[in-house]
Amino acid sequence: MSTKPRDGRRALGAELIIPVLAVVFTLYFFSSIWHSPWTAKVSAFMVGGILLLVCAIFFIRCALWIREGSGTLGFGTLFSRDDIATGRIGLFATTVGYCVLIGYLGFTLTTFLFLALSMIILAKGRNIGFITLISAVMALGGWAVFIWAFDTRFPRGWFETTMKAVLSNG
Amino acid sequence: MGDTAYLLFDVFLDTISFWWVIIPTIFLGLIVGGIPGFSAANTIIILMPLTLAMGLDTGLIFMVTLYCAARMGAGIPAILVNIPGTAGAAATPLDGYPMARQGKGQQALAISFVSSCIGGLLTTIMALALMPVLARVGFYMHSVEMIVVMLFGISLIASIAAQDMVKGLIAGFLGLMIGSIGTDVVYATPRATFGFLELYDGVPLIPALVGLFAVSEAFVIIEKTVIVNESAEPKKPSWHDTFEGVNIALSRWWHIVWTSIIGLVIGVIPGAGASIASFVAYQQSRAFSDTPEKYGTGHPEGLIAPESANNGVTSGTLVPLLVLGIPGGATAAIMLVVMQYHGVSFGPSLFEHSPRVGYGMFMAMAVSYLLMIFTILPLSRYMSHVTTVPTIYLAPMIIAFTLVGAFVPREYMFDMYLALAFGVLGYIARRTGYHVAAILIGVILGPLLETYFLRSLKKSDGDIMVLFSSTLGNILWVALIVSLVLPIWFDMRRKRRREVPAE
Repeated sequence: MSTKPRDGRRALGAELIIPVLAVVFTLYFFSSIWHSPWTAKVSAFMVGGILLLVCAIFFIRCALWIREGSGTLGFGTLFSRDDIATGRIGLFATTVGYCVLIGYLGFTLTTFLFLALSMIILAKGRNIGFITLISAVMALGGWAVFIWAFDTRFPRGWFETTMKAVLSNG
Repeated sequence: MGDTAYLLFDVFLDTISFWWVIIPTIFLGLIVGGIPGFSAANTIIILMPLTLAMGLDTGLIFMVTLYCAARMGAGIPAILVNIPGTAGAAATPLDGYPMARQGKGQQALAISFVSSCIGGLLTTIMALALMPVLARVGFYMHSVEMIVVMLFGISLIASIAAQDMVKGLIAGFLGLMIGSIGTDVVYATPRATFGFLELYDGVPLIPALVGLFAVSEAFVIIEKTVIVNESAEPKKPSWHDTFEGVNIALSRWWHIVWTSIIGLVIGVIPGAGASIASFVAYQQSRAFSDTPEKYGTGHPEGLIAPESANNGVTSGTLVPLLVLGIPGGATAAIMLVVMQYHGVSFGPSLFEHSPRVGYGMFMAMAVSYLLMIFTILPLSRYMSHVTTVPTIYLAPMIIAFTLVGAFVPREYMFDMYLALAFGVLGYIARRTGYHVAAILIGVILGPLLETYFLRSLKKSDGDIMVLFSSTLGNILWVALIVSLVLPIWFDMRRKRRREVPAE
């Protein structure tokens, strides 16, 4: 994926996120093993040391690019108005909701709600009937294959409990 | 010799008569292999009551077929939607997915199926013929030798990072650091666990795989209407691409042979697995290729190498299991349990007391691969349509079914959040030019490398020179250096040749 925004200059602010995260994480890692036996330290200090060195090289490189004017501290390649237009932010919100709700509502119901809602967001409100149908088929298909047929360890909610009771009573 | 040949032929015919078990199991294996979290091992555990109720022959054939088909199935989503079904297929999307985006999904699937089947079949025959020799490989591979094998895989980071070495190394070493999360292997000291008990065992692989590949990919593909590039030629559905894929794979038969042998040898080593084999095979394939610059852009050889190797591992895993009674992986361990329930004891006496069982497992594998090529290859035409499904439907389905797949192995809700966190990391990485495969290689191989490294240091009382203390280890070190230096030398020679006619 191109890391150059439309004006041709590299959006280094976005490119620096991972090295900055890497440095913060490495320092946290070191702090967690500072008083540990050598067996816990040796590999982490070796790998972490190289990671810090490579990040430092990248920071210097970025500083030079910014001084030359071929890069900016912008985040253009990572965040843009397209994220709202494409429904990416909406999809992310429904994904977080899926993770939170699945423990309470169970696989089938949460999957149906997640699929329907996120597809409606991505389709910008079009084809609601088709989306509802497809979401129901996928969620029920998933329940039939993974929970009913193979008894897989999926999160269970009232739908799964009710269906189990219904099916076991014939 | 004559008796053994007759016995093998008899077992072969006997195994073929179980086609009614093999064919449905192939399709089951493709499904469970294709969804992250539903490995062959998990499925065999889930279906263990059924397996125990089956007869010995049927149970054995069922498990072996499921194992092989799941291995092959893991490559299908890796090619079509950039989501490896298991860690063993993590190197498959490097070239498989670019092919799918170029509208060559059907061709890529055909290449993958043919190289998987030939690689699997060939290594099964080799394992059968060379069993006594291969069984000894495990004895010679100690922690020092394993460190070098791991470094073969990790050096793939450098190949992936060829476009931007610094960013590639940041991604790879960040992966290695993430892979070090959890308790250390000697004193169980917790490291960088953020206070989460769920991370004491280390970062679970499936949530990392799901997040880095599936979730991040779903957030990226919604920018386009379909996965296939708009620049790709629109094609009418036909068998032409399948035949072309078969032709491409067969014309590179030697590539299939040597990369599957890498898989076989690594599979024989207990504790090593398909992920290591596929990374090593991809790295070696690129290192000795005449066109290394094509790797990562949809090069058939970059797809053949990991697929042949990870299917070569399947037969390799059976060798220590049958000959020594040591399971080489999780699936082999479950097979051991099921077979012991049926009163079969593994080890050196197996081929003396129950030769039909010993040879039967290899024969089941060979017959499965034979039947797979005829049952799966025609499906490539229909499977490839996934790349033309509108992303507004595809992306939410990918997220829903893979996130729940992250939950399945350990049944922790935490793992779903972890997959989401890896998804965010993967998304940032993709958008800012860091390779998610480099991060994943670190996460997979990091803990293994550390384990072998610490074991070596413990044995030598902290003397680092232990790394160069064994003959086989030193040979492997030389091979590693050669495989890293030769491509650079080849590249320089190629450039020089290009410059000469220009002058």
